[in-house]
Amino acid sequence: MATIIEAKNLSKRYGSFVALDDVSFSVQPGRIVGLIGRNGAGKTTALKTILGLTTYQGNVQVLGIEPARDRNALMSQVCFIADAAVLPRWLSVAHALDYVAGVHPRFDRKRAEQVLAATDIRRSSRIGELSKGMITQLHLALILAIDARLLVLDEPTLGLDLIYRRQFYDTLLNDYIDQERTILLTTHQVEEVENLLTDVLFIDRGRVVLDAAVDDLATRFQQLTVAPQHLEQARALNPFYTRELFGRTIMLYENLPADRLDGLGELRTPGIADLFVAKMQVDAAPVAASQGASAQGASP
Amino acid sequence: MNALLTQVRREFWEHRALWIVPVVIAALMLLAAAAFGRIQLDLGEPGIHVDGPTPKSLVEMLVLGWELPFLLAAAVQGTGYLIDCLYGERRDRSILFWRSMPVSDASTVLMKLLTGLVLVPLGAFVIGAAVSLAGSVILLLRNHDLVLNGQHVMALWNMLSWLRMQGIVFYGLLAALLWYAPFAAYLMLASVWARRSPYIWAVAPPLLLLILEHMIFGSNYVGRILGGQFHEFLHLAYRLDEYSAFDARGTVRAPRSGGDFDISFTMHLLSPGHLLASLRLWIGLLAAAAMTALTIRVRRYRDET
Repeated sequence: MATIIEAKNLSKRYGSFVALDDVSFSVQPGRIVGLIGRNGAGKTTALKTILGLTTYQGNVQVLGIEPARDRNALMSQVCFIADAAVLPRWLSVAHALDYVAGVHPRFDRKRAEQVLAATDIRRSSRIGELSKGMITQLHLALILAIDARLLVLDEPTLGLDLIYRRQFYDTLLNDYIDQERTILLTTHQVEEVENLLTDVLFIDRGRVVLDAAVDDLATRFQQLTVAPQHLEQARALNPFYTRELFGRTIMLYENLPADRLDGLGELRTPGIADLFVAKMQVDAAPVAASQGASAQGASP
Repeated sequence: MNALLTQVRREFWEHRALWIVPVVIAALMLLAAAAFGRIQLDLGEPGIHVDGPTPKSLVEMLVLGWELPFLLAAAVQGTGYLIDCLYGERRDRSILFWRSMPVSDASTVLMKLLTGLVLVPLGAFVIGAAVSLAGSVILLLRNHDLVLNGQHVMALWNMLSWLRMQGIVFYGLLAALLWYAPFAAYLMLASVWARRSPYIWAVAPPLLLLILEHMIFGSNYVGRILGGQFHEFLHLAYRLDEYSAFDARGTVRAPRSGGDFDISFTMHLLSPGHLLASLRLWIGLLAAAAMTALTIRVRRYRDET
């Protein structure tokens, strides 16, 4: 199957603010890509360009379609949840089903009803009467019943409690296993999606600072809890991030063969959350950034 | 087709007042007719006689009386709807949901225009027609023994003149829609444009233009274009001059033929040729098309942040 998303030299400015600065990346079919960044890093802008919701400079192809040009054709194959609770409050649950069934050629009403049956949501309720968690459940039920090739989720669990957040990702995963679908999701709660993602795309101040498959992280990054006596030696190997915690020193390395760190301390693969924090810190300090982790452009 | 129908249904789900208000008016009118429809002349005897002139178009007047409240309500409601329809979806941020569906901006805007400009008045016409029939029957039955000017009241009812009246009203409705189209398109533009309070955008710019023109040039072209349009449309659509107490300039003129302004509601009253030959109508429609295209563009390219 062809590439799902191909973005090349994407830029977007709001006045003098640069939301996206010459960003390039691609998303392959069947992947679950986490677009991860801080608030205001450019995540939502990136998604908007992909969904054809904003103008931009550069080149984007989604499913072979230019989003800004043919949004209609795109939207019959792409689904998105922009953020929790944008469903109109006056709409009843039954009418929400009627509406999507009426306008979406790929909507399977029976499937949506099945997902809804597992919740406490009543057909006759107005969306305004539902809790935020239930609204998200309903939205997810609607979206998952659409046979779309790309699912875009922008902070889908923002403001939800832990139970609903867990349910959301569980439902998503269970459904995902059924079908070959691509998911692009943004969040700033990295730890929640850590086990879900196949790829990560870190974005900071409009630039991509890491674009990698989760499976490759183990060979590319090392996290060393340094034994005190080897501190100088470990530092000499140019960690791109150093952190002091409870009197212990933790260092992160990129593209360094693991055997060179042997014997310097406790070695493991950093989690996505740790890596994200490290990358953001590095990016915040220009001197450090120039050493180890310069902004990465398009992945091969 | 199904998708378009769903889009229209969605408008009536959101703006429930669009169908609730006419239904309530209909229920109230019919109830009132049934409860208070007996004409109390208090002459005691059954088989009441009233002398004096009877308007020859009693049925038509009656029909018009039944239907006007619905048409007026539709004008107010349709206007309110058009001002709100593209603003409301941004106010509650549901626009992101609507835009996540495979529905183009053009189809959204056109369906909303269709709803506010055509379907709401058309619905009012249909309900009004039904009520005028049912209500007239109720009134006649309540006063079945009334004799007006020597004529039995039941004999005044004429199904054909009811039907003809529907034709005249329906024609007037179509003419009004054509005339109203540029105003409707402007209201939608105000609705899609406004960051807040679309009502101000709907009213302020034309008003400002009016005031500025008056202050700078001391003239009143804008006012005449906006206000005169309504007046002119009536005179284009109907041959009012031959019947009306007002001439084309709106001034009262002397009654024709001895004090009787009774309009005879015949098809002769209609002048569609006149209406369609009016340059102003076509300029208005062109303006409506241009503003609608602009509305689609603004909804399409506006960045919601």
